[in-house]
Amino acid sequence: MADDSTASHRRDPIKSSVGNVAAQRRRQNAVTVGKERRESLVRAKRLCRVGATGDGDVPVEENDMMTDEEGFLLDAQTSSAVEELKSAVAYQGKGAMQKRVNALRELRRLLSKSEFPPVEAALKAGAIPLLVQCLSFGSPDEQLLEAAWCLTNIAAGKPEETKALLPALPLLVAHLGEKSSLPVAEQCAWALGNVAGEGEELRNVLLSQGALPPLARMMLPNKGSTVRTAAWALSNLIKGPDPKAATELIKVDGVLDAILRHLRKSDEELATEVAWVVVYLSALSNFATGVLVKSDVLQPLVERLATSNSLQLLIPVLRSLGNLVAGDSHTTSTVLIPGHEITYGVIKVLVKCLKSDHRVLKKEASWVLSNIAAGSIEHKQLIYSSEAVPLLLRLLSTAPFDIRKEVAYVLGNLCVAPTAGEGKPNLINEHLVSLVQRGCLSGFIDLIRSADIEAARLGLQFTELVLRGMPNGDGPKLVEQEDGIDAMERYQFHENEDLRNMANGLVDKYFGEDYGVNE
Amino acid sequence: MAMVVDYKHESSFPYWTSVCRRFEPDSPFFSSGNLERELLAKQVALDLTEDERNQLEKMIDNDARSVFCPIVGCGARLTSLEDFEDHYAARHTASCSVCSRVYPTSRLLSIHVSEAHDSFFQAKVARGYAMYECLVEGCGLKFKNYKGRQQHLVDKHKFPTSFDFFNKAHPSKKKRLKNQQKRRMHKKDEETSSKMEVENETIDGLVSAVSKLSTSDSSPSNISFGRRNARGLTFVPRSIQPPREKK
Repeated sequence: MADDSTASHRRDPIKSSVGNVAAQRRRQNAVTVGKERRESLVRAKRLCRVGATGDGDVPVEENDMMTDEEGFLLDAQTSSAVEELKSAVAYQGKGAMQKRVNALRELRRLLSKSEFPPVEAALKAGAIPLLVQCLSFGSPDEQLLEAAWCLTNIAAGKPEETKALLPALPLLVAHLGEKSSLPVAEQCAWALGNVAGEGEELRNVLLSQGALPPLARMMLPNKGSTVRTAAWALSNLIKGPDPKAATELIKVDGVLDAILRHLRKSDEELATEVAWVVVYLSALSNFATGVLVKSDVLQPLVERLATSNSLQLLIPVLRSLGNLVAGDSHTTSTVLIPGHEITYGVIKVLVKCLKSDHRVLKKEASWVLSNIAAGSIEHKQLIYSSEAVPLLLRLLSTAPFDIRKEVAYVLGNLCVAPTAGEGKPNLINEHLVSLVQRGCLSGFIDLIRSADIEAARLGLQFTELVLRGMPNGDGPKLVEQEDGIDAMERYQFHENEDLRNMANGLVDKYFGEDYGVNE
Repeated sequence: MAMVVDYKHESSFPYWTSVCRRFEPDSPFFSSGNLERELLAKQVALDLTEDERNQLEKMIDNDARSVFCPIVGCGARLTSLEDFEDHYAARHTASCSVCSRVYPTSRLLSIHVSEAHDSFFQAKVARGYAMYECLVEGCGLKFKNYKGRQQHLVDKHKFPTSFDFFNKAHPSKKKRLKNQQKRRMHKKDEETSSKMEVENETIDGLVSAVSKLSTSDSSPSNISFGRRNARGLTFVPRSIQPPREKK
C-alpha cells in the first residue's frame, strides 16, 4: 500500500489535483478486487505462478491492489506480447524455435505476475489459436511447457475464460501420454484440472475426449509433483454429478492399488490429493465404494486420522470415511463390527476429531458417528459407552450451530432402536434416561427455538422421546423445567405448518388442561 | 400407557427414526470443508491473514445460509442463525403496558389490548357485534364471542386445543429464568402428587362452577391461577372441551 502513495506522488502534478478521483477509483477497485479475490479463493481452480523447476526469474508480486494505471499497462503489455507471439509463430527462418519460446515465455510471465492475470486482454488479442499451434506434436519440450503454462492461467479464472480453452483440449490430453516429458505432462494436467474444475459441461467434454485414462496412469508412480497434480486434476474431473467417471476411474488397472499405496505411505501433500479422489469415488459411485471397502481402505484412513495433524489431510480422509460409512450399509454391518479392532480404531479417531479445534472436523466426525449410531443395537451400545458421549454432550451446549445439529443426530440415534417396519420405533430407555440425566435436554430445546427447520424438527422429535419415554411420567416436568413449553408455544404463530402441528400436538398431548404446575 | 387423547396430531407425529444420512458431494453440508480445502491450498499464494480467513469463512457461510424469520408476517432477514434469538426478543415480544402479557406480533398485542382492556370493545360485544377477530392474519373472520373464535382457531387453523389467547403469556427471558429458579427451589416441596391433585380439584371445581354461569361464555375469564405465566392452569370453558382422560 505504501508503494501506491509514493507512486502517485511521483506522477504528474495534474494527477494530484484529481487525486480524489484516483483515490476513489482505487477504493472501488479494492472492493471489486475484494469480491474477485473471494471468488478466486473459493474456485476449484489453481493459478500456476511458480514453475515446477522453481522459475526464479519473475518476482512474484503480492500486491493485488493494482491501480487502474498499472492494470492498463499490464493489459497493453499482454496485447503486444501476443502480437509478438503471432509473428514468432509465423516466422519460418533461422532461430524460429528460440523466437517462439521467448515470446511464449514473455506471455507466460505476464500471465503469472499477479493473482489476477490479464486474461481478457490475452484472449482479445487472439492468444488461444496461437497457443494451440504451439502445442503441435513434435514441438520442443520448452515450447510445450510454456504454452501449457499460459493456458493453465488463462483457465484459472472466470467461466467464459476457461471455456475459451476448448480448442486446446485435445492437444492437452494428448500430451499427457507416457511419451511426454514429466514437466510437460504435469503442466498439461494442471491446465486440464482447471478446465475440469469449471463445471459439469467441460468435465463431460474432457471425459469424452479420453482425458481420464492418461490422468489415471499419471497417478501410479510412487512419488513426484506430477503424481500430486494428476491426483488433483482427477478429483476435479470425477466430481460429477454423474457417477460414471468415478466408476470408470476405479476400474483402471492399477488405480486401486495406487490409491491404497499413497494413502499408506506417501507424504501428506500427495496423500491429501489422493484422499480427495477417494472422497469423490465414495460419494458418487456405489461400485467404487464397494471396491474400496472390500480392499480394506478403512485401515489406512484410520491410520492417517490417528497420526496426522494436517487439517488439509484430515478433512478429505475423514470425509472419505464418512462417505464409505454412509454410502454402503455393508461398511457398518460387515467391516465395523463391534468388537473388531478396526471398529475401536474408527471410534477412537472420531473422538480425536471431536476434540479438535477445527469446526469442519467436529461437524463431519459427528456426522459419521451419527451414521454408525444408526446401525445395530450393538453399535449404539458401543458408541454410548465410549469416550464420545461426554464430548458430544459438551458440544451440544457449547459448539456452533452446525456442529450442534450433527451432535443432536448422534444422541438421538443412540436413544432409538433400529427402525423395524411401521410405527413408532422403540426407545432404548437406558440410553435416553442417562443422557437426559446428564443434561442433554436443554440443548435439544434450544434447537426447537432455532430458525432452522431441520434443527427445530430434531428438537421436537427428541422432546417427544423424552415426553414419551422418561419413567414415572417425569418427561413433561423435565421439559417444562427447560422452558420446553415456552419453546413449543412459539410455533403457534410460525409459518411452517408441519412444525406447528408437531409442536401443538405435543403441547396438547402432554401439557393439556390436566397438566399441573409445581409452584 | 395408552393415551387416548383426541387430538388430530397424534397419528401424524413424525417420530425420531434412526437412519443413515448420505450427502452428495456438492451438498451444502460439505461446503465449509470444501472452502477450507481451497483456502488452505491458496493460503501461501494469497498471503491471507488470520482475520481475513475468518471473515471470509463467515461471509461465505452466511451467504449460503440466508435465513428469514419464520414468524408469520415477519420475514425479516437474519444475518445468521445465532441472531434469531436476539431478533425474536426484539421483535416478537410485544408486551402489554397494562398487564405485561407478551405477544409475538404487534397485531396480536393490539387485539389483546382491545379485548382485555377496552370497555368500548366490551360494550360492542354486549350489543352483539362480532368483535373477536381470528388471530391468523389474513383470515379476516370475526366472532361474537371468545369461545367461538377459540373453536375456529382449533378447527380451521389447527391451534392446540389448550391454546388460550387471553391467558397466553410469554414471559421475558429474565422472567423465565426467575421462574425456573423458583420452580427448582420449590421442586422438593411439590414432589407429593397428592398436593397437586388437591390443587387441581379445587381449580376444576372453580372452573366448572364458573362455566355454569350464563354470562361466562362470552367474556374471557379474569381468573388466572397462580402466576400470569403459569402455563398449566389455563381456563378454557369446559363446554368446548371434549372429555379428557387424566394421565
